[in-house]
Amino acid sequence: MKLRDLLQLSSVLALFTLSHASSIPNQEYSEHLYLKPLANDHLHADFNFTATTPVADYDAQHFRYFPRSLAQILQYTHTTELHLRFALGRWDEEQWGSRPRNGRREGGTGVELWAWIEGQSEEADERWSDLVNSLSGLFCASLNFVDSTKTIRPVLSFEPEGTHPSGSGGSQLLHGMLPHEVVCTENLTPFLKMLPCKGKAGISSLLDGHKLFDASWQSMAVDVRPVCPSTNSRKDECVLEIQQTVSMALSIPRSMRDRHNPIPRPPPIEEIECDDSKVWNGHDTCYPKPSTGDLGWSLAKVFGRPIKGACPLGDADGAGDISLDVPLERTVEAQGSASSETEPSGLRKFSLQAATDFDVVLPRQDTVSSSSSTHPPLYASRQMTGYGQERGGMHATLRNPHPYPQKIVYLESLPWYLKPYMHTLEIQHGNIEKMFYTPALDRVRGTHLELVIEIPADSTVELNYDFEKAILRYTEYPPDANRGFDVAPAVIRVLPRNVSDPADGNNQDEYLRTTSLLLPLPTPDFSMPYNVIILTSTVIALGFGSIFNMLIRKFVLLEEVPASPLKTKVTMLKEKIAALLGKTSKKGSDTKPSEEPGPAAVIDPNAALNGSTDGSALTNGSAKLRNVKG
Amino acid sequence: MAPLTSLFAFVALLFAFAIATHTSNWAVLVSTSRFWFNYRHLANVLSLYRTVKRLGIPDSQIILMLPDDMACNPRNSFPGTVFNDKSRLLDLYDDKGQGEQKGMGGIEVDYRGNEVTVENFIRLLTDRWPSSQPSSKRLMTDDRSNILIYMTGHGGNEFLKFQDAEEISSFDLADAFEQMWEKKRYHELLFMIDTCQANTMYPAFYTPNIIATGSSAKDQSSYSHHADQDVGVAVIDRWTYTNLEFLEARLNGTASDVRLGELFDYYTFDRVHSEAGVRYDLFPGGAEAARDRRILDFFGNVQGVEVDDGDAEDGSWREDLEKLKRFVEIAEAEEKRMAAKESPSEPASAQDGSIAEGRQKSGRPARDMAKGGESWLKQAVGVGSLLALGAAWVVIK
Repeated sequence: MKLRDLLQLSSVLALFTLSHASSIPNQEYSEHLYLKPLANDHLHADFNFTATTPVADYDAQHFRYFPRSLAQILQYTHTTELHLRFALGRWDEEQWGSRPRNGRREGGTGVELWAWIEGQSEEADERWSDLVNSLSGLFCASLNFVDSTKTIRPVLSFEPEGTHPSGSGGSQLLHGMLPHEVVCTENLTPFLKMLPCKGKAGISSLLDGHKLFDASWQSMAVDVRPVCPSTNSRKDECVLEIQQTVSMALSIPRSMRDRHNPIPRPPPIEEIECDDSKVWNGHDTCYPKPSTGDLGWSLAKVFGRPIKGACPLGDADGAGDISLDVPLERTVEAQGSASSETEPSGLRKFSLQAATDFDVVLPRQDTVSSSSSTHPPLYASRQMTGYGQERGGMHATLRNPHPYPQKIVYLESLPWYLKPYMHTLEIQHGNIEKMFYTPALDRVRGTHLELVIEIPADSTVELNYDFEKAILRYTEYPPDANRGFDVAPAVIRVLPRNVSDPADGNNQDEYLRTTSLLLPLPTPDFSMPYNVIILTSTVIALGFGSIFNMLIRKFVLLEEVPASPLKTKVTMLKEKIAALLGKTSKKGSDTKPSEEPGPAAVIDPNAALNGSTDGSALTNGSAKLRNVKG
Repeated sequence: MAPLTSLFAFVALLFAFAIATHTSNWAVLVSTSRFWFNYRHLANVLSLYRTVKRLGIPDSQIILMLPDDMACNPRNSFPGTVFNDKSRLLDLYDDKGQGEQKGMGGIEVDYRGNEVTVENFIRLLTDRWPSSQPSSKRLMTDDRSNILIYMTGHGGNEFLKFQDAEEISSFDLADAFEQMWEKKRYHELLFMIDTCQANTMYPAFYTPNIIATGSSAKDQSSYSHHADQDVGVAVIDRWTYTNLEFLEARLNGTASDVRLGELFDYYTFDRVHSEAGVRYDLFPGGAEAARDRRILDFFGNVQGVEVDDGDAEDGSWREDLEKLKRFVEIAEAEEKRMAAKESPSEPASAQDGSIAEGRQKSGRPARDMAKGGESWLKQAVGVGSLLALGAAWVVIK
């Protein structure tokens, strides 16, 4: 019967697929790679993969480019918009300028996740918990550690990127961060598996864990959002869009090292170009000349392989674009490109050809191309102050390098064991316009602090508060407690200037995040509890044992113990034999008092006291106590 | 109905074959030690991961537990890479393959960092999870699954440390296996452990169908094999190295007919520098049967390929298609019938009733305890047994 059902199901499915085949053209996929050399011999590579599916297909579980594994999770947990980030390293703002994509596609160190989930408060919490658990299985990350203590509901920091139909009602924003989480190859593997070309063709064939996780800074992002023509359009006009982004800043000389011998060793002196102007220059002493000009590099050398043709699944014109942002005077040789064009700004655009390897070679050039780095909107840093195991302080510095005032939203999500004293919160050279604060509850939720701060032109704002460190229970310490506890980075949203319509300015605001912090908590010596346990157990065993003995055991004299029947029989037999022998050998001689246990063994205290010569009575009487189980 | 009965016959035949052996393979690979200087334990477990993946167990059937991050550790001068040999020819973490040889295609770690705990490990074995546990992090075996369990870390007499913070004792492990057996979660189990005094971990087992092997006897250490100067630490343990040497040399494909006995004989004192042990007595048939098991019964995936007779016609798929078509027609007719039924507006409640009835018929309905016994025979038997018990009690007293 079951088998038949199954077959019926498959046939229904087949019919179903056929009926929906007509809607396939609405499903789109495109991929882009943006390359830009940075100061300090770095290369910024930004991979973007975008796939869309109509909401109707999504609801009918019909997917072509949209990853099914993720879609099913989103459907099950009623998630309407999802943002997931894996980040590692630090973007050097001083040298490289403003952050890629205005910081909107990056997260704090470790893993960061925020999502809009349908449902009322408790229902949404439950779905959030399902979501993080499912994602932990999908992305091989410990996202299941995002529990209620690490979840906050920010008010101002994030706006939905998608267009949510106004009638859909309450969806809630939940946000969680795992600053301690390691990002490594096992997170990249599922990321690549979600792409239609699985990293086998197209620009994703460049993505290799060995290079990605050797980068000075990298961020992987997954963003799912509904896109509608307008806010009051019907649901079936909307499409669901997934953007997968990998952004990284690679050190070019480092990534061009031989993979099997990556440890830099000094080359032979003959190969070094020495600086003759130094006084210590000699036949055996060499001061290497600083390298001048632009480093020569190619995709194949930096990423270890060329791009393996275009991913043939995307739409014909948009699929597989590569743009290279170098100054006009820089020579660029492209191999295996279908078409290339140069924009006046120097931006070169290439498109990929199916089944042809593509590579870009930039030979070494002596003329230094001026890299124009733009000022980031804000410089931010955050440190912990104070000493000792009881208290500490938080100190954030926000510098506005621009000649105009800026308004920011400053979000902190603190773990419960870091307890801020809000009365000590003070700000210098700026003013707090709004404040949202959810106090922590021990082991239930963390602190959520959100501030709207106005930073005057060309000035530095300092934010300070004190906190207390909690003492954890013995079992709450992680295995590497002495390393310290990670505190999630602060998220800063720089609001756009002079925006009358907040919905319009939505796409202009920029994000930046401070580094995560290590909080040293008072940690016990973890062997001490064992000592205490052992000692306490011994004391309890001794005390309890003796009391237990006294309570349930009965103490009697040895003589009170009834003799075993066998023993009495043996004694009787002995006596008989003795009597027989005595009759035959010593007839008429006096017999010794018998050693029957019963009557003769009664203690004679007088005898004992008087030092009676009756030795047997004494030994018996000096209380040969034998205990018997009661 | 004729095609259906033939299908049933076919399925029955399949089962008859299946009774004799297993139908799926799973691997649980656990490293239990954290910190950089324990690099070799992660290399051990990743070597085994590569081996079972090479021999055909898919990622979805491998549970990999890594307590620390070695590949992306800041101390690692080879980012994204873990080696198990100083020749550094093979990257265990993300094997891209060399030349024509295909790599293993990424890595999927199921439990990592602080998730590797004794609690999670025992929950995994016994499958006691909250409903939100994703299926990729569960051991979804049944009584026809062969499981390979490999553990490595620091241990002692009858215990194995987890993350320097807690430990699992051999009795916990034995009880977990007993639960697995009771819940029909394995067919046969190969337990391998590489730690100091490893052989003390398995004498406590008391569940059938387990073959256990360990690297060193009681009061013996389990040694590392060699160190890599550039990695800076020891890269692999001796016993695991010996295992790999054998598996790499002898198991070249999914058709290799190599027996477990040959592997166990390979653990000589010269190679391992400790006395490796094997326990056979839990296995039905004892040492002889256990040693005669194919290594691929545990290290490789079951190759469920049905080979047709050579002279079978190529057109057989057409028949299948015809059958499918007939099913589709039946389904369509059914659908029409349902639609016709539904069109008059009233039968919603009637349908509900029929569903409830159907449930009563198909499933075993919960017994109404208030109704009492159904027949006098049962009552008589009950009274009789009570009387007998009473009589026995009186007699004994």
